[in-house]
Amino acid sequence: MEGPLPKSKVVLHWLTAAAVFFLFVSSWWMLALPLPSENFTYRELPFQLHKNIGITVLIVVIVMITMRIKSKMNKPQLARTRLEKLADLDHMLTYFLITACCLSGYLSSSFSGWETTWWWLVNFPTWSEEDEVLNILFSDIHMWTCWALLAVIALHIGAALYHTFRNDEAIIKMFRL
Amino acid sequence: MTVQQGNGINPKWLGIIAVLFGILLLANHGNELLKQSVLTPGSAAELFVPADCRVDELDEEGLSQQECELMVSNVQIALASSPQWFRPAMLWLSALGIFFAIFSIGTGIAFVGGRKMNLTMTKFFFAALVAVDLCTFIAAVNTGPLLRAQYLWPTLLWFFIHLTIFAVVMSYSTSIEQENS
Repeated sequence: MEGPLPKSKVVLHWLTAAAVFFLFVSSWWMLALPLPSENFTYRELPFQLHKNIGITVLIVVIVMITMRIKSKMNKPQLARTRLEKLADLDHMLTYFLITACCLSGYLSSSFSGWETTWWWLVNFPTWSEEDEVLNILFSDIHMWTCWALLAVIALHIGAALYHTFRNDEAIIKMFRL
Repeated sequence: MTVQQGNGINPKWLGIIAVLFGILLLANHGNELLKQSVLTPGSAAELFVPADCRVDELDEEGLSQQECELMVSNVQIALASSPQWFRPAMLWLSALGIFFAIFSIGTGIAFVGGRKMNLTMTKFFFAALVAVDLCTFIAAVNTGPLLRAQYLWPTLLWFFIHLTIFAVVMSYSTSIEQENS
């Protein structure tokens, strides 16, 4: 069994979990709002919030990946069981899909002609002029990576529940603050 | 194989359930807060401004003209069927829901991590989650059929989830008190 994790990593894990579920539920709702126009501005706040949280999640995930790589480098390499290898794969896939989801969302927004301002403070660069084809391409990538992420999260939660109900202490490190 | 009896409630099981549903509840109430902040009375949909459905936007979103128009109707439904008190009530209830959901996550983490807990406070906060669901249910009952159709069933599901967790907390607390006496 692995030793305790840094408290910062535990906090970041739970903040990311809360943010990702909020992004899912709010995006399903906001995409049913009227299309934007001069009169209909219902999408402004939800989309801005979606981008703010999405970019924040991306930064947090990059920090978590860095922490994971550092901790792996500092630890002696022991033989790993099949389940441990699967858990590693699940984590890598989750990190990859969150990164892909956030990046494709940002790129889609960038090619849609809408500006991306992070928490109403930092202007993110747009990659080019409005490009309908690239906007739709990245929008599709955003959608499919998000569906894949939801599936991987379901597996992740299922595995966490399995270990908890088996009382095998495998997930306790994620709860030590 | 025969079903075997376990020895009482495992606080780790209670903890992980509280964390999982706490995270989902946080997202749920966060979205409700966002919804009530965005759908304000007197906005374009309520003033019957016709939907602006540009062909390029429809293509981009993969929508039909009718779907685009119905998106405006969707907002009209929410606004027209909300009594005046409904929006402030939901804003308060979702803010309270967010607070108690954060508590549920914190308590769950403490239960799984095996930390010392104040059981009286824990019982109070889980009872508060049940109370928030109950108030949301009562609020939704007193709106029109269109909002009732949207709110009643998910609220009832949350009510029973929280009632179950509260019942587990109560029995855990009782068994701890019996052990200590």
